[in-house]
Amino acid sequence: MSTRTPHRPPSAAAGTVRRLSEELWSAVSTADEHTATEVVLGALDNGVDPETVLLDVIAAVQGRVGEEWAANRLSVAQEHAATAINERAVAALSRHPAARTAPTRGRITVACVDGEWHALPARLFAEVLSLRGWHVDYLGAQVPTPHLIAHLHRTDSDAVALSSSIATRLPAAHAAITACQAIGVPVLVGGAAFGPDGRYAFLLDADAWAPDARAAADRLARGPLPRPRPDHQQLDDLPHLADQEYTLITRNSASLVRSVFTALHDAFPALRTYSEAQRERTAEDLAHIVEFLTTALYLGDEDLFAGFLTWTAQILTARGVPAHSLPPALTLLARELKDFPRATRALDHGAAALAPVNRTAAESLS
Amino acid sequence: MTTTPPAHLRLSTDDTEDADDAGDTVRIELQGDLDHDTADGLLAAVTTVLGDHPRLDDLHLHCAGLGTVDSLGLSVLLMIRRRTGHAGVRLHLDDRPAALDRLLALTGTLDHLTTSSATAAGPFGAEDPPRTGGNGKAMTVRPTGPDGTT
Amino acid sequence: MVSTQAQTGVGAEHGASWDDAPYPVLVADAQDSVVLRNDAATVLLPGAHPGTRFADVVPGWLAEAHAAVRVPGPRTGQEPDAEPPCPPLSGTIGERSFEAHPSVRADGAVTWWLIDDTDHVLAREALDMERRRTAFLAEASSMLLSSLNLGRCMDVTAQLAAEHLADAALVIAPTHGRRLPVVTCPRGGGPSTSHESADPDEVPGLGEALRGFPPVPSRWIDPSSAPAWMVPEDFGTVGSIVITPLPGHGVPAGALVLLRRSGGAAFTDSEEVFARLFAARAGAAMSAARLYAEQTSITDVLMRELLPPSLHQISGVDYAGGYRPSADHERIGGDFYDVHPAAVEGDASLITLGDVCGKGLEAAVLTGKIRNTLHALLPLADDHQRMISLLNTALLNSHHTRFVTLVLASAVREGSGVSLRLTSAGHPTPLIIRADGTVEEAQTRGTLVGAMPHAPARTTALTLAPGESCVLYTDGITEAEGGPLGGSHFGEQRLKRVLSECAGMPSESIVERVQMLASQWIGRGRHDDMAVVVISAPRTHHLSAVNGHTRGRFTA
Repeated sequence: MSTRTPHRPPSAAAGTVRRLSEELWSAVSTADEHTATEVVLGALDNGVDPETVLLDVIAAVQGRVGEEWAANRLSVAQEHAATAINERAVAALSRHPAARTAPTRGRITVACVDGEWHALPARLFAEVLSLRGWHVDYLGAQVPTPHLIAHLHRTDSDAVALSSSIATRLPAAHAAITACQAIGVPVLVGGAAFGPDGRYAFLLDADAWAPDARAAADRLARGPLPRPRPDHQQLDDLPHLADQEYTLITRNSASLVRSVFTALHDAFPALRTYSEAQRERTAEDLAHIVEFLTTALYLGDEDLFAGFLTWTAQILTARGVPAHSLPPALTLLARELKDFPRATRALDHGAAALAPVNRTAAESLS
Repeated sequence: MTTTPPAHLRLSTDDTEDADDAGDTVRIELQGDLDHDTADGLLAAVTTVLGDHPRLDDLHLHCAGLGTVDSLGLSVLLMIRRRTGHAGVRLHLDDRPAALDRLLALTGTLDHLTTSSATAAGPFGAEDPPRTGGNGKAMTVRPTGPDGTT
Repeated sequence: MVSTQAQTGVGAEHGASWDDAPYPVLVADAQDSVVLRNDAATVLLPGAHPGTRFADVVPGWLAEAHAAVRVPGPRTGQEPDAEPPCPPLSGTIGERSFEAHPSVRADGAVTWWLIDDTDHVLAREALDMERRRTAFLAEASSMLLSSLNLGRCMDVTAQLAAEHLADAALVIAPTHGRRLPVVTCPRGGGPSTSHESADPDEVPGLGEALRGFPPVPSRWIDPSSAPAWMVPEDFGTVGSIVITPLPGHGVPAGALVLLRRSGGAAFTDSEEVFARLFAARAGAAMSAARLYAEQTSITDVLMRELLPPSLHQISGVDYAGGYRPSADHERIGGDFYDVHPAAVEGDASLITLGDVCGKGLEAAVLTGKIRNTLHALLPLADDHQRMISLLNTALLNSHHTRFVTLVLASAVREGSGVSLRLTSAGHPTPLIIRADGTVEEAQTRGTLVGAMPHAPARTTALTLAPGESCVLYTDGITEAEGGPLGGSHFGEQRLKRVLSECAGMPSESIVERVQMLASQWIGRGRHDDMAVVVISAPRTHHLSAVNGHTRGRFTA
């Protein structure tokens, strides 16, 4: 979609990109920082466009890191190490003479939503904007909204680029979007949390959304974002919040998790044989389910919850842990939340979506 | 008997005044968290007790009901130890919960706070630093809490 | 004759009462001749004698209306006194405004009733104007008050003024420098910022407006005396210019310059009053933004000293640190850490991490004092006990028992490993992550610093093999309260379990993972300051880079 823009880097031969990605992947997956940095700097020395290295090599490799982790082919430690080495490679790239660009455009603030720890996508985007001549303020991972707003009052940013990868951060993202707009700064959002089609970006009334860093940079290059409406309030976007289901369940989520966890001992007797660490993990899983449920209630989107459940079942299955505890947990949650019609619907919907996945998993194990 | 109810910390003061020459004993029961919000209340109560009982020998802080003690709570315990030391009063931290013992052990303050010598070596060791006001000053600090009636 | 018939007919039926009617009435016959008028009509339209052509003696709008009514052609007679075909028409006659109501008779004659609605129209216009102005002022206020950024306030002011008050608007900020910050906005365009090297006193009224004192009224200036920078490019000939001061809260906020093209309407008195109302709002917003900017720049300067530094590799040892203050609106607190590189290459660097008792600004100030003192004691860095004792003495104070707990670490690269000396002064014990995932407690213990006469501490020495790390942290991590079931502490055991999964990770990943898990543990709850520092021996294949034999660009 970005081929029409003047900023599209002269496309390095697909073969070069593939070779660089393989080299970087093998360095990153074995935590070999030295080689990783050599690959990146070598590519720049050989005249490969820095934006191509950032988006077609480093970002692609980072995507693979995530996939390998989900498939249980990388441990948590390996995943973190790989990410850290990718970050160091980005830092090395930004200091290379080929990546030095004097600012010729306006000023953009790039930040991750509060609670969002995956900083690399935002970091890559910030580097791309710098390469394209923007003055960039990169605030990093998990920026509390008050810090973001204080920063915007201090600096005269033309726009904020907000990144979020996890759907459960969307309520926080909404708060940040509304706050920026309230002080007159338009917001461009990106990241997996907003949905592949950007549906949550539109739902939360962001001023712009882009599917990837290149498209986002192209959007900013096309012209200033529209000035946001000053009197925009969160409830305007999500009138269903008036039923208070989100508020009430969120406020009592710990006690909800406690009740369900206790009841789960009867519904799922295997829990009694779990070690302390396993039990804690189960409680964490429950808390996570509740978090996704409340997010779905916030957005008024039952599919989000169903999608999370099937994803979780897949992750568990990949680790050889059949998701047997999920259906009883949903039943117990439904019992606790029977007075909340939207929550009940979302739980029913989720249980229905889960049924085929669980069947497949059970069959594959038998 | 006085009850000072600062937020989340209840103090119950109980005096046993012995006849004539025998020294006094005051026992303060702590219920709740000793932290940023409540520590000053305890210090004020102890200051009042010290002011009201010039012949006090023993101050017992009964700690069984004590919840979280944060760094300011510990700071106030150290200040109480300093003031009782100046006043020649033995400080006792009774019925300490395990968490409090762990905190005192970790910070190396257990011995200092629990082995009280009534000989009142200043908290700065044998020699007090200059211009501290010494005992007299500690005693004349005006209580900020309610009057310690008996 | 039809006309005569009409004349007599009408006169005979209604003559006396029509003359008394409060409204002017005119009757024109099917041939468009005036056949009758009452007294009021005679006063209003003295030329409309009976017999004259209707279109010649009435204003154009009424003549057109008459033609429109007559267009259907001669009436067939089925619809006597039919309803007028269109809503009441209106226009001016002389200086007054009238509504005209026709009624068409069967013979084609039209009776025009003219109703004077001048006062009504004026009232409606005034009301509309007031509504528009109120709406505009409300919009302006909410847009202006939403921002505390001076540049954005100036943009909004210029844009609103250009849209609602003038053909172009300039907002000029007072300055201490030689160049005037100016935002220019033509109507229908966007604001643009420039810095003009101009002396404001050369423009009548501008110097006073920018000084803000004494208060001056809006001032008209001769368009030909306006300097070139005041007139936007391609603006055309300026018809009028008014300079209005933007009143601040006791501080000058700047000046608003409004320009109108020649040929357009000049500013009326009421517009000028209205511009002042707008200027009052804009000035308040701009002076608030200016005060905020001054405050934050002071705070920023102070904070720069208090914020923990960002860490990286020094002399072959990896360092990473992370800090989260207790409340999200604060950026400083009672936790701190520093890495002081050795003065001589080959000596150990000193790492300090500590937790000052208390919260907020007071703790932050004490933190600053402790960090400065430790910095001053750096020449003694190889004797941890001595540093601690001197710091203890420096902090002892008869008025309070504020204290600090801290860890001192001396780290130096030896071969491929890192040799460490660690001393805890009343602080949570540093943890060592071995290559195999074992997590050890460093064997050091000591008393807190600053509240007791002595601060004895025991130092321990150990070695980190490549890929191994030492983790220093404050109790904000272990005391973090929350968890999936709520109400439990993150605790040391959980921290150790987390760290054992971090074996072999780069230092910044360990910091990030600990911060992330502790933050998620807390969820939405309150928490204390949390600080983590990780000291790592880099994995072996970094060696060549570390020694600077290759690029080395990526090691700072």
